[in-house]
Amino acid sequence: MKKVLIVDDAAFMRHTIKAMLSKNGFEIIGEAENGALGVERYKELSPDIVTMDITMPEKDGIEALKDIKKIDPNASVLMVSAMGQEKLVKNSIIAGAKGFIVKPFKEDKLVEALNKL
Amino acid sequence: MTQNNEEKVEIQEEDTQKGRYLTFKLGDEVFGLEIKYVTEIVGIQPITNIPEVPNYVKGIINLRGKIIPVIDVRVKFKKEPIEYDERTCIIVIDIDDMSVGLIVDNVSEVVTIKEDDVVPPPSYKTGFQNRYIKGVGKSKDGVKLLLDCNKLLTNEEKQNINEIELRGRQI
Amino acid sequence: MTDDFNTYSEPMLEMFMFETNQSMEQLEEILLNIEGNSTITDDDINEVFRIMHTIKGSSSMMMFNNISKITHSLEDLFYFIREKKIYDLDLTRLSDLVFSTIDFISFEISKIEKGNEPDGDESQLTSNIKDYLDSIKNDHPDQEIILSEDEGNHENFISKENVSPNSNEFIAKIFFQEDCKMENMRAFTLLRDLEEIISEVSHTPKDLFDDEEAADKIIEDGFNMVFRSEEDYDKLLDLLKDGMFVESVELEEVEDKKAKSEEIKKKKVDLEEQKKKTINETLKNPFSLNKNKNIISVNVEKMDMLMDLVGEIVITESMVTKNPEIQNLELENFDKASRQLRKLNNELQDIVMSIRMIQIGPTFHKMHRIVRDMNKQLDKNTRLEISGEETEVDKNIIDTLGEPLMHLIRNSLDHGIESTEERIAKGKDEKGLVSLDAVNTGGDVIITIKDDGKGLNREKLLEKASKNNLLTKSPEDMSDKEVFSLILLPGFSTKDDVTEYSGRGVGMDVVKKSIEKVGGNIQIESEKDVGTTINIKIPLTLAIIDGMKISVGDSIFTVPTNTIKESFKAKKEDLIKDTSGKEMILIREDVYPVVRLHEIFNLKSEKTSLLEGILVMVETEESNYCLFADEILGEQQVVVKPIPGYLMQYTVKDSGVAGCAILGNADISLILDISGISNKYI
Repeated sequence: MKKVLIVDDAAFMRHTIKAMLSKNGFEIIGEAENGALGVERYKELSPDIVTMDITMPEKDGIEALKDIKKIDPNASVLMVSAMGQEKLVKNSIIAGAKGFIVKPFKEDKLVEALNKL
Repeated sequence: MTQNNEEKVEIQEEDTQKGRYLTFKLGDEVFGLEIKYVTEIVGIQPITNIPEVPNYVKGIINLRGKIIPVIDVRVKFKKEPIEYDERTCIIVIDIDDMSVGLIVDNVSEVVTIKEDDVVPPPSYKTGFQNRYIKGVGKSKDGVKLLLDCNKLLTNEEKQNINEIELRGRQI
Repeated sequence: MTDDFNTYSEPMLEMFMFETNQSMEQLEEILLNIEGNSTITDDDINEVFRIMHTIKGSSSMMMFNNISKITHSLEDLFYFIREKKIYDLDLTRLSDLVFSTIDFISFEISKIEKGNEPDGDESQLTSNIKDYLDSIKNDHPDQEIILSEDEGNHENFISKENVSPNSNEFIAKIFFQEDCKMENMRAFTLLRDLEEIISEVSHTPKDLFDDEEAADKIIEDGFNMVFRSEEDYDKLLDLLKDGMFVESVELEEVEDKKAKSEEIKKKKVDLEEQKKKTINETLKNPFSLNKNKNIISVNVEKMDMLMDLVGEIVITESMVTKNPEIQNLELENFDKASRQLRKLNNELQDIVMSIRMIQIGPTFHKMHRIVRDMNKQLDKNTRLEISGEETEVDKNIIDTLGEPLMHLIRNSLDHGIESTEERIAKGKDEKGLVSLDAVNTGGDVIITIKDDGKGLNREKLLEKASKNNLLTKSPEDMSDKEVFSLILLPGFSTKDDVTEYSGRGVGMDVVKKSIEKVGGNIQIESEKDVGTTINIKIPLTLAIIDGMKISVGDSIFTVPTNTIKESFKAKKEDLIKDTSGKEMILIREDVYPVVRLHEIFNLKSEKTSLLEGILVMVETEESNYCLFADEILGEQQVVVKPIPGYLMQYTVKDSGVAGCAILGNADISLILDISGISNKYI
């Protein structure tokens, strides 16, 4: 089972993503509510995949992504964005995100995206 | 579209409870209580006295840690009180988050009485209890007096002080 | 709702509602602050933006489109304000828009809570917000939005310049899955994925970033690439198909021709990155949306179960340690272990009780919004002062108190506080004052709502009560307190005098009922032109107290141990009667009244002489007196349960019963209200 770390400042999103993924054969090994904590937990837990919200307080998704990539250049990070955040998505991809998903998304899309990572 | 479906579902759920009454006896008369108010039925158990309540409020019981006041329906309806025995039951009803136990001679069964089979209650004057009845239901094994639970639980002191005899002050 | 909604579980919905409600509360607080200070800060703007952004995201996930749309429009508004750094805002208009949005969303959430569809129409409000945004745009036509680092950038993709002789040319047409969104960025991702192994790339649509229609073009025509690669066809096809959300791939290997073909265009691409990440800068401000970081939310039912269990443990502990079978045995180790058990249980009780206790502050703070709204509508200028916010109260009580408090505050503002002119004429401060206070007296919580308005008019109340046939006593015999309590009777307010704000079906009698349901009571004091004070007293719902069991005839009563001073048998020579025939006892030069429990509760007891039985001296705040009972049975910790709601319509509480205790053998013992008895019988 792939181990996933969920990083998002909205408890609702963390909860929803967790619910969706747990049902589909992923193991959620941790959650973090901002980028700084996300990087910490990445170091602690070494997940296979990270879902990363793009905009968060205390270090946004892109900065956290960069930090994680420094720790592990092969890290699989999926960015979670909203419509209208194209520039941020672009920068994430440049910074090394392996993919992105746009809110609102359905469960099957999320699962498919993670399966590709 | 979905809204209609939801409405239908709601109505159906109500329907399954509607028209269903728990029946009990006081002497020869059979009464019915809407099942939606009934939470459980227990046998008679030790009752602790409470001061300053009308004579039909017998006291309180301990139901698994919850304190429930109990009313003797016979006394409330000004009938001759009888001794409690092993058939005596307490019907626990719940209205507006208030729980009250009704002491009755015995509990019969749950029956379904359709709206068409319910006629308006008899007038007040022909019997003390009739002020608590919201309709008379006809079913195959006889007539059942359907009780209005809300009225049953209201303090009538405010309506008619003279009729209430306060406990311990009987002359 | 569509089918997809069924994939969202109850917990998800609950979390959504919880978070959204919390956000609405935070938003309201921010706005009230802004209004109070008459300025808006950068932090305020950021927080509002952030809250709108979050709710837009979650509501769209839950498919609550009206909420999503309205938050989107507010998000756009605040985004503009933030980016253009606009400070000269019409705060009144702005806050009205936000408050209306809060109300809209809260109302939709309440519909969802009741299991109904959130079918509110947001379009009017959304268009109002857009109008406001347009008006701001008109006022600030020159300001450019400070862009993020890469506005005006071109593709950030380096194509390898050196073409290896073993490379072949390929043409690919890629379609992405329907509704995967940002198709242009998907294409960009694909390019990055293949970066290492392809070169001399050109593609259409050409511009993936600045062309607003790039995504649409890709949806229509697919993403078309021409490139060179050393990899073989199959590998490339697999790689392309593996792309995220790729629907279909057409790949063609082209014969290596030097000849120009219409589809081959060489393009140089630049990589530029601006250093300043302005948007990211503004987003880096540490917000604390989640003010309570180390808190978990617990289902209230679980808390109730936990409380009940703790209560039962207390009772069972007594059943063990006070078991008649071992009463006469000397068991040293057993006693030691019992004491340890008792100690641990006490700690457990304390902690469990404290978990259920919540500060009343947030409930009080909600009243600010009410006062603000009513001030606006009634054109009054009233201040709300809150004190005792840290007072902790059981969660049950907090839940029940909300509505009654709102009603009482509305009443104070509507009927109590006079208009500014009237107040000035009376020589009062033109700003009316409503104060809200909470205090914990150990056994009860006392909440006071006080206004400095015109007070209640005794004559008018009597007149109205008489008109509605509510008088049970003649007016002369009624104390002021009793007259003021008339407004609590059902049927007091007729439909005619219910105004929009203070009583649409929520009469004072409903307030009284709600308070009585949790075992509390409500009292009103008032003075003409000075103001009205409403006192609400609510007992703590679950307490575990040390009690002394005493018997009177067949009944067992419990006296809170902390009220007992001593107990003794009376001596004939100490018994006296005062001038009105009341029985008293002389103890060490002081005289104390005696209250016969069997008399006040009308119980049959064999011990009617004060010389038999036992006297227990108890103390209240004001004085001490003695209770006369048959026997003292022993001390026991008891679980206190309030007098059942149904009985509150009678005078049980006034008769000297504070609550009910469940004893170890499951019997019920009435807990004596020591000060109540003193008030009534002495």
